Amino acid sequence: MKLTLPPRLSPAQFGAAVKAFEGVVGKDWVMASDADRAVYADIYAPGPETEWPASAAVAPASAEEVQAIVRLANEHKTPLWPISRGKNLGYGANAPRMPGSIVLDLGRMNKIIEVDPVLGYCVIEPGVGFFDLYDHIQREKLPLWMSVPGNAWGSVLGNALDHGIGYTPYGLHARNICGMEVVLPDGDLVRTNMGAMKGNKAAHLFPFSFGPSWDQMFTQSNMGIVTKAGIWLQPAPETVLGLSLEIPKEEDIGWVIDTLAPLKISGLIDQSIFVPSWLGKMVLKGQRRDFYDKSGAIPESRVQELLKEHKLGYWHVLVRLYGEESVNKAKAEIVKKAFKAHIETPMAEEWWRTGDPIIAVDPTMGAPSAVALQMGDWVGGRGAHMGFSPVVPATSKHVLDQLRRSRKIIADHDVDFYASFTIGGRFANNINMLMYDRNNDEQVANTRKLFDALVRDAAANGYGEYRTHLGWMDQVASTFDFNDHAMRRLNEKVKDALDPNGILAPGKQGVWPAAYRDQADKGQRA
Amino acid sequence: MKPVLALALLMVAGCNRASEAPKAPAGPGGPPPPFLLYQMRADAPAGDRLTTGRDGAALYSNNCGYCHLVGGMGTNLLTKQRIAAGAPPETALLVNRTDLQPDYIKSVVRMGKGAMPHQTKVDITDVELDSVAAYLAKAKP
Repeated sequence: MKLTLPPRLSPAQFGAAVKAFEGVVGKDWVMASDADRAVYADIYAPGPETEWPASAAVAPASAEEVQAIVRLANEHKTPLWPISRGKNLGYGANAPRMPGSIVLDLGRMNKIIEVDPVLGYCVIEPGVGFFDLYDHIQREKLPLWMSVPGNAWGSVLGNALDHGIGYTPYGLHARNICGMEVVLPDGDLVRTNMGAMKGNKAAHLFPFSFGPSWDQMFTQSNMGIVTKAGIWLQPAPETVLGLSLEIPKEEDIGWVIDTLAPLKISGLIDQSIFVPSWLGKMVLKGQRRDFYDKSGAIPESRVQELLKEHKLGYWHVLVRLYGEESVNKAKAEIVKKAFKAHIETPMAEEWWRTGDPIIAVDPTMGAPSAVALQMGDWVGGRGAHMGFSPVVPATSKHVLDQLRRSRKIIADHDVDFYASFTIGGRFANNINMLMYDRNNDEQVANTRKLFDALVRDAAANGYGEYRTHLGWMDQVASTFDFNDHAMRRLNEKVKDALDPNGILAPGKQGVWPAAYRDQADKGQRA
Repeated sequence: MKPVLALALLMVAGCNRASEAPKAPAGPGGPPPPFLLYQMRADAPAGDRLTTGRDGAALYSNNCGYCHLVGGMGTNLLTKQRIAAGAPPETALLVNRTDLQPDYIKSVVRMGKGAMPHQTKVDITDVELDSVAAYLAKAKP
């Protein structure tokens, strides 16, 4: 990929910055060739990868090197785009929001600093992947379980910092963060919570600071670079009981949510409960053309045939109960009774007991897998996906309301419908996977139009997204419009105070520093 | 012995019930060998990531194992492709391939292919990639 310079930087100034970075990390860890730029690009970009181009990447090995790079970036006015492992597929991967940003690749910072099996936490650097931590826990035979996202190829910290979700009792990954070390945009180094005291023994245990608590300010954020953090881990359960059921009809999602959410809110079910639609299973069975060989959305009549042929319901419910066998048995009776009020078919029961093998593709069992990415193969060609992910209250009223509207918009754009609801508490993350072939310009253009329509429609009805692709950060940020976008004013006031040169991740989540505010998408920044 | 693909095939079928858990293949006498699942990759071999001579097999397992060991996403997709191409399904595991050239391997890793994303030099350095390419190119069943 040819060089796109950062805004207002001459080739000579850019060259001087690159040289300065080489002085910190060594020539091998500053990557600024056309070939290097081509790999710091969004593999699933809905459009040409050159729309979100990096100018270079630099890979530090320590917090000290991060500090040195940040100071040089201020001096040379080079914007940095930090990534942990860059596997945020569907949301922009390792590509930057602002063209010409230099990717700060933290992948080499991959130390597992501490794992405490008694209090159930670890302290890790951003380059530690889910697989790395899993392997470590298995090798050391530690009685701990992780919560993993659908695609677990990426970074544990990176996913938590981007508000990723998993499907165990620790499924709200940003909630598991406790005690960070952060390089600020001026190169200063702070530790949050009790860690603000030198040598404090509870740095990763108590979730607040003495005074204001800053942890969440550094998530989905361009206010600092997290160089290590504590992550809480689940004590390994003695048993896990799975209760599963195929749910026949689309509209059944209403009673399913009304049945599950109160059990989740009361704490009887403690996992984040994932309820995917049928296509979640089908994408693993083959390619779309194996089941429907025409373009355009699969018609409802064919969907019904496929459900029959493959013995699938429209939705799949899998509740997992984690803990002592006697407790799980008692809880299961309550869950089964709640479902029996709505459906004759009994829930299938499946026990896992300590020592049994773990099914490798099941994220509810805390094992990392990248198998979910197989869905990239569904549409064929250069298959990719984007997630449209509004947050809805966990009641049938809101879930059906959002479902009916987004379903219609997706159908109007002639795209397959693949939704899931993950009940994380009083809310559900409604993730709609929009799959497209990057080689098909028409499909890409249609997906973009569809995405715009979905964001607009959800906001008009009182629902916002929890996370989005680089190309929609301004648009989604604009939907948070209370008091004429008071939240954006606050974010940007803080941003300008901490980062006067605007060098850290300009445009991340629609937050632009004064220095680059002219680079925001004007059509989208309301 | 070629690593057995039963597990990968089961996963293609979307199996996720413990009752259908695949059993480890029986070894040639004695207890069954440990099943090299993609969650249990080899440790990265010690040493500087920029110097040559580190173990290609361990580098392959550690860097590519996320997807290319038994049951991994890459193995699953390649199983379908290999069967469609009339090749034995066990050739979906890259260590069972005899037709891979180093330059081809390097190009796929850096440029990506189909559902496989491109890999950066932080993911795998050039010298690590050389070792992996040499290991796979020489790998025989």
